[in-house]
Amino acid sequence: MHSHLLTRTALGAFALMAVTTFAHADFWSDAAKPYAGVTIRGVSESTPPSNYVKDVLAPAFTEATGIKVEFEATSWDQMYDKAIKDMEASTGIYDFVYIEQDIIYSYLARDFLVDITKTLADDPALKAPNFDIANFTSFINYFKDPTKSDDLFGVPMEAFVKVYLYRKDLFSDPEVQAAFKEKTGHDLAPATTHEQYREIAEFFTQWGKDKNIELWGTTVQAHSGHPSSWYEYFESVAPTFGVYNWGIDANNNYAASVANGGTMNGPKALAALEYYLGNLALAPPESTQSTWDEVAATFAAGRAAQGLVYGENSAWIATDASKSNVVGKVGVALPPLGEGVLAEAEAGKGYIGYYDGGAFGIPHSSKNKEAALLFLEYIGQPDVQADWAVAGARITHTATYDDPKVVAQDAKVDGYYTLMREKGPLFAGAPPYPFHAQVREATAPFFYEAIIGQITAQEALDKMAAAAEAELTQLGYRKN
Amino acid sequence: MRRSRGILTLVFWCGASIITLFPIYWLFVISAKSRADLFGRPSLLLDSVNWDNYIATLTNPVFQHYMLNSIIVATCNCLLVTTMALLATYALSRFPLVGKENIFFWTITNRMAPPAVFLLPLFLLYTQAFTIGEWKLYDTRIGLILLYCVFNLPFAIWILRGIIDAIPKELDEAAMVDGANLWQILTRVILPVARPGLAVTAILTWVFAWNEYLFAATLTSVHARTITTGLAEFVTVTGTNWGLMAATAMLTLLPALVFLGIVQRHIVAGLTFGAVKE
Amino acid sequence: MRSQRTGWLLLAPTLLILFIFGVVPFIYVLVTSFTHWNAFAADPTPRFAGVDNYRQIVFDTQFLYSVWITLRFAFFVVVSEMVLGYFLARMMMSNFPLKGFFRTIHALPLMVAPIAVGATWRLLTVPGLGPLPYLLEQWFGIDYRIGSFPTQAFLTTVVMDIWHWTPLVTLTMLAALSSLPKEPFEQAQIDGANRIQIFWHLTLPYLRPAILATVFIRMMDALRTVDEVWMLTGGGPAAATRYIGLYIWRVVFPKTDYGYGAAISLVTLYLTIVLCWLLYVSLVARKEKKRAD
Repeated sequence: MHSHLLTRTALGAFALMAVTTFAHADFWSDAAKPYAGVTIRGVSESTPPSNYVKDVLAPAFTEATGIKVEFEATSWDQMYDKAIKDMEASTGIYDFVYIEQDIIYSYLARDFLVDITKTLADDPALKAPNFDIANFTSFINYFKDPTKSDDLFGVPMEAFVKVYLYRKDLFSDPEVQAAFKEKTGHDLAPATTHEQYREIAEFFTQWGKDKNIELWGTTVQAHSGHPSSWYEYFESVAPTFGVYNWGIDANNNYAASVANGGTMNGPKALAALEYYLGNLALAPPESTQSTWDEVAATFAAGRAAQGLVYGENSAWIATDASKSNVVGKVGVALPPLGEGVLAEAEAGKGYIGYYDGGAFGIPHSSKNKEAALLFLEYIGQPDVQADWAVAGARITHTATYDDPKVVAQDAKVDGYYTLMREKGPLFAGAPPYPFHAQVREATAPFFYEAIIGQITAQEALDKMAAAAEAELTQLGYRKN
Repeated sequence: MRRSRGILTLVFWCGASIITLFPIYWLFVISAKSRADLFGRPSLLLDSVNWDNYIATLTNPVFQHYMLNSIIVATCNCLLVTTMALLATYALSRFPLVGKENIFFWTITNRMAPPAVFLLPLFLLYTQAFTIGEWKLYDTRIGLILLYCVFNLPFAIWILRGIIDAIPKELDEAAMVDGANLWQILTRVILPVARPGLAVTAILTWVFAWNEYLFAATLTSVHARTITTGLAEFVTVTGTNWGLMAATAMLTLLPALVFLGIVQRHIVAGLTFGAVKE
Repeated sequence: MRSQRTGWLLLAPTLLILFIFGVVPFIYVLVTSFTHWNAFAADPTPRFAGVDNYRQIVFDTQFLYSVWITLRFAFFVVVSEMVLGYFLARMMMSNFPLKGFFRTIHALPLMVAPIAVGATWRLLTVPGLGPLPYLLEQWFGIDYRIGSFPTQAFLTTVVMDIWHWTPLVTLTMLAALSSLPKEPFEQAQIDGANRIQIFWHLTLPYLRPAILATVFIRMMDALRTVDEVWMLTGGGPAAATRYIGLYIWRVVFPKTDYGYGAAISLVTLYLTIVLCWLLYVSLVARKEKKRAD
């Protein structure tokens, strides 16, 4: 299904197989001897990085070890549902599961996963010589359990940051620049503050109207019935205004409302939500039906001059002409920030955006833990990372940044990888909440009402804070 | 006079057909566009037909596998349900069974429940209860075939009931006098008359099994996956591949259409639900 | 007479399958509805809760709202489909060329998978991607954005359902109309009755069983709608199309609140049974009354 990508990477795969099987032929085939002929089964989302595992890495692994891999790639909802059901009921269907960064806390709380560090320590024969936690970027820390001496429970397979994309071609167009200068009095440049972002968005929306072209000033991920809108606000917009961890204070009895000590409905949150909702007027009409997919498609179709877009999309938007109309016209920058937010992030007290990604982990209920662990180590090797990065725009190893193929692609995507490398530490994953999905579902209905204007931003925040606290109480985290 | 009425009706039906076909036509348009062209001012006409999505889908061994699974599940379920429904309806019609009406209503209630919450118990049954050694009912075609009976049987019984009730019992008795056993009564007396009802049962059952999504997605993994679950897999983080999804949806529609074409003659006669010519 | 045993034997496979795959899961759900069970609560094990879940339903404004809009949806959809289906069946009764061909085309929407129906209509209605927003704006000046306007979204789900299921009604009505006896109608025409009188006093009574059966089926399925609407709107905007099926799905899957999900499922099932039972009783009662006459 991704035929041209595959031909490119098939060559890489052959080279890979040759290299790994030759250089470490001893390790892989030896370690796998007790498990040869076994079939391991895994479930993941149907995305390019996962599909790369399915189409390239898994067959290479089978070639090297004789262990067969059945890889089920499915939709986001289905994947969660099946993995959770399997682990809860201990049915032992899956030997490895995809763990998105935001759900790791729920899985750790339920003790679903095998302790990889401990397993490797107990059985040195399983430890691959080129598998080293130190090779990975700091993203791997999300998959360590602090309550178990920071042992590792998942091997990262993809990581991205959600960045600010803008149309470089429009921004450097002399006619546009002149008109902007005339209208606002200063030069057109990628926004660093929210006021600037809004100003630029207003300008381009008007520009689109005046020139009668399908161009708007910004994308907004505002689907009025799908959690993606909720995510854009809580994970990408609110932190840039200084509202972290959804405004819930875990150290204060999980308070969410200002009255109880939280910040979910405080003044900064209000500013953030009003900013987010205000952008809707400057966004293309499909915004209230746009999830993360559609935002990427909208930007790739050339319908927006700016937007916050997930990192894994930046690569194909900037380089793949069969899917994108703006190849070579994409600029990448840090998201616009409120006052003091950057300082807080640099001091480690906050963050400026979302560090997305996932890992593969092994359920306790698996019947082929050792074989699965070998597979996880295989995809965690340094040798496979570069081609995988080029195919899926994901980086989990520090060394991958320096690989020539990645450097070459970096130039084509306006330095996305460089930005991720240098500014990555300023971004953060989801807060460590085992009740992630539950509180999301409890608060989302009010958020959607705000999107369509049924209630005001302040009302929505108040209701969300109340609902969050009610749900946390019912779940038993918040004590009365 | 009659002639013009016929022409007017024809015109009407042409118009109605356009409305019916428009969404499917649009699905085809999407499937034939290249991905970069999807957004923008939507044009109803295609400048060029891009068959890439279809070629990619048809040559994909995964798709072929899913297609095969769907065909097997739908066809087997259809045969199983039709047979069982025929036997059951005959029993309800010809035998003085206690609590007949209640049984009948109870079978229909199986179809009334919202499916979401029943997935968990079925998942547990399939993975832990219905096992023989290492073999599980989970991720098998037979698992789906048996499950779909729960939804299809009630409907099938209902459709067939009116038709079989309408066959006079005297015919049975006449055949019995001639020395026919149960099997012969069924095949020689009932079957021919009930053919339209069986055709309708067959097509509706087959289509339901063919199109079912939620249970198929939950109770299968890699081996027994069907075509409809394949459709949902196109919704990914890096952009729903609408073109491929549309192409797959069109290809999924084709076998159902073929089956429809074969049995459509009988559908009208079969959907009488007991309203019988005096 | 025939032995009861043979009868039960013939019925046995059906009853067996329905029991194993229908009743057993049902009992499990019933038991679960009396527990507090959320996979990611501080205590993730099922705990006995008596009728607490059921009590909670009364205060759950979101659920009650979902029930209300589902009933409203079912009403609009069933009435529209019955009227339209009857009308189309009548049009199908007269003789015109290529009748069989048009009948097949008309039955096409029935063949499309619900999830594909939702996807198709989504492709039709996304601004910038689908033709409907563009055409509605050009021809009628309507700003058609179902992500932003609840009423538009609701109406779109109704239209989508009508497109999908009217053929079933048409075919059923056609079957019924085809089997109407000719003599009473000829007699009525000779007696000088007008069209309305014929329709009201002759056609409707004869069609009653078919009408009630079709209403029964459509109502039952409309109350359970999930796939198509989920694909089209996800339940949005806000809660405008969050029908019961979707609400339950949200509670059981992302929220993993199994206990509560079980309770609302059973309440929904009960509601559906009550509604359908009323219809069924009137259908059977009429039949028996007719037989008695």
